[in-house]
Amino acid sequence: MLKEITALAASLAVMAASSIVAPASAQERTVKITGFGAKSGVVRVFGVNSEAALKAAAEQINKAGGVTLGDGAKAKLTIEFLDDRCNAEEGISVVRRIASTDAFVAVGPTCSNVAESLFGILQKKVGDATDTGLQFPIIADVAAKGGLAKISEWSFRNVPSEFEMYKSLFAWLKTQHPDLKTIYGGVEKDFAHSNATFGVMKAQAEANGLKVVGQSEWLLADTTFSTQVREMKRANPDIVAISAHPFTTCGALKEMERQGVKPKLLIGLTSSSSIETLQGCAKQAEGIIIPTSFAPVTPEAKNAAEQVAKFGGSADLHSAAAYEIVYILKDVIESQKIMAKPDTVAADRVKMRQGLAALKETKGLLGKVGRTSDREAIKPFLYVHAKGGSWQVLFKPAS
Amino acid sequence: MDFLDFIDIVQSIADGVLFGTTYALLGIGFTLIFGVMHKLNLSYAAASIGAAYASLLIFAGIKAPPPLVFLLAAVCGGFIGGMVYVIAFRFIPLANPLATLMSTVGLLLLIDEIIVHTTSGVPLAYPALFSDVIVRAGPFNLRGDLMFVFVLGCLCMVLLLLLLYRTKLGLATRAVSQQPIAAELCGISITRVNGLTFVITGVIGGIAGAMTGAAIGMLSPLLSLPLTVKGLIVTVIGGLGSIPGAIIAGLLVGGLENLFQFARGVSERDLYIMILLFVFLVFRPGGLFAPSAGRD
Repeated sequence: MLKEITALAASLAVMAASSIVAPASAQERTVKITGFGAKSGVVRVFGVNSEAALKAAAEQINKAGGVTLGDGAKAKLTIEFLDDRCNAEEGISVVRRIASTDAFVAVGPTCSNVAESLFGILQKKVGDATDTGLQFPIIADVAAKGGLAKISEWSFRNVPSEFEMYKSLFAWLKTQHPDLKTIYGGVEKDFAHSNATFGVMKAQAEANGLKVVGQSEWLLADTTFSTQVREMKRANPDIVAISAHPFTTCGALKEMERQGVKPKLLIGLTSSSSIETLQGCAKQAEGIIIPTSFAPVTPEAKNAAEQVAKFGGSADLHSAAAYEIVYILKDVIESQKIMAKPDTVAADRVKMRQGLAALKETKGLLGKVGRTSDREAIKPFLYVHAKGGSWQVLFKPAS
Repeated sequence: MDFLDFIDIVQSIADGVLFGTTYALLGIGFTLIFGVMHKLNLSYAAASIGAAYASLLIFAGIKAPPPLVFLLAAVCGGFIGGMVYVIAFRFIPLANPLATLMSTVGLLLLIDEIIVHTTSGVPLAYPALFSDVIVRAGPFNLRGDLMFVFVLGCLCMVLLLLLLYRTKLGLATRAVSQQPIAAELCGISITRVNGLTFVITGVIGGIAGAMTGAAIGMLSPLLSLPLTVKGLIVTVIGGLGSIPGAIIAGLLVGGLENLFQFARGVSERDLYIMILLFVFLVFRPGGLFAPSAGRD
C-alpha cells in the first residue's frame, strides 16, 4: 500500500513539474537555419568556415535576445550545416532534403558549379503555374561565379561582384602605376570560378589600356608549372595576374621564383586572399594584390572575425558573407512576420523570398551592402596585399 | 620553330624527366606489390601522400630539418603500408581479384578523407632540400631539388634490388611471387612476406610522398587521385612487376607530359598520355620490361 502511495505521489509530482515546465518550453521557440556547402573533399575549408560563421552570427543574435516571429514570440536561432561535397548532384539532393522539412530558407552552396545546377531546379519565375520547379528560397554565401542569381527568382546571393572589384582595381592601378603597360595571365583552366574570373581580369586590364601579352594555363591538381612559367618569362610582362586557388597559385609563384620571373606587380584571385596562400607560400606571394570584400578593419568585422574563430573557422570574404546572411535573415523574418510553424511553411517560404527580393540595402561588416534587382549584392571592398606573412589593407576605394 | 622554342622544349622535357622521378618512386611501389601478390593496391599513392602529411603534422610547430621530415615520412609510410595490408588484403579473399581492388579503392577514399578532415583540405608547405640550387648547363637550368629526388629514386631502386636479390627476405619474396604454394611448403610464411612487402613498399611510398611534396613545395589532398593515375600508367608502361621498368616509365611519362604541355597545351596534355597508355595496352601489354612468366 505504501509503495502504491509513493508511486502515485511521484507520478503526481512529475505531472505537476511537467505542467510548470510546459508553458516555458512552448515559449522557447527555435528557428533552424540550414546551411550547406563543401565539408569534405579539397574545398572542405570553405564549408568549415561557413558553418563557423553561421553559428557565430546565430550565437550573437541569440545573446541579444533572438529573433521576433510573426506572432510576437521570441525564438532562438539554431544552425545545421549539411555537406554537398562540392558536387552538383549532392547539392541538389541536400536542398531537396532541406525543402522536405519545415525549413523556409537555406544558405549555400560553396561551389559555383553546384549553385549553377541547383538554382536550375528552382522555379524560374514566381507564380508561373506551368513551372513545377522547387519553390524554396536559397541565399548563397560563397559561390562566386558572376550572375548566378539570375537563374531563378528564388535564388539570392550575398557574394561580392568580382566584375566590380577587378574593374575598380585595374582603374586604380592605371592611376597608381601608369608606367605598367603589359599583363600576362595564369589561369586554372578546369575550375569554373578561376576561369570565369580570369575573363573579367583580362577584359578590365584591356579596358584600362594594358596589353595582354599572353596567358598560361594549368589544372587545379597540377604539380609542375615549369613550361607555363617559361612562357610567362618569355613574354616579360610588367604585371602577372594569377586566377587560381591557393594550391596552384603557390605552385606557380614558387616556379616563378625558381626561374627568376619578377614582374613589377602581382594580382591574385579573390579566393586566394586567405590564410591558405600565406601558409603555402608567404615569401613568394609577397606583394600580391587581391581585391576582397572582407578584412577586419571595422569594429563589426573585428568582432565577427573573433566570433568565427571561436567556432573553429576563419573569417574571410566568403565566411563573412555567411555571417552577414544570418543577420539579413533575422531582419527578413521580423519584417515579413514569418511564423516559423509547421503549418505555415509554404507561406513562410513565400514571405522569405518576398522579403529578400524587396531588400534594397543590407548591413555588411565593411559597411552598407546594396542589393540589385537580379538578387545580387553590391558589397564594399578593398584591396589587400601580402606583406610580411599577413594580409594588409593596401587601399579602400570609395564606395 | 626558332632557337628559343628549341631550348624551351628541351628544358621542358628535362624538367619533366626530373619530376618524373616522383612518378617512378610511386610506380616502384605499385609494381612491387603487383609482382609479389599479383594485386593492384590503388590506395598506394594516397597512402604515400598520407605519410608525407603525417611527417609534417607530427613535426607541427617544430622547425625540423628536411632530412628528418623525409625520414619520418618513410617511417610513417612503412606503418601505413602495414595497415593497408591488414585492412585491405589480409582478411579479404585473395582469390577474388575484384575484392582487393575494391577494398583498396575504398581505402584510397578513406585516406583522402582523413587527410581532408585533419587539415580541412588546406595546402601545407613542405620542406625541400636544395630547393634554391639551380645547376646551369649553357642555356639550360636543372633544379637541384629535383636532381636530389632523382638520385634518391635511383638509390631506392638499387637498395630495393639489393634487398630482393641479396637477402633472405628478398629470396622469400621472389619465391612467394613465383611459386607461392611451393614457397609455403618450404616453410616460408606467405602472410609474413606479403606483410613485409607492404611495409617496404610503404617506406618507398613515404619517400615518394615526401619527395613529391618537396618537389612541389606543398602538399594537398588534391594530389592523391592524379598521382594514383600516374602511378598506374607508369606501372603499365614499365611492365607490371618490373622495377627498372617503373623507373624508366616514370621518367618517360614525366618528360612526355611536359612535352605535350608545351606542344598542345593543358587541355590536351593528359589526352596524349592516356593514348600512350592504350597504345601500350594494345600493342605491348607487358610494358617496356615485362618480367618473364614464372608463376603457376
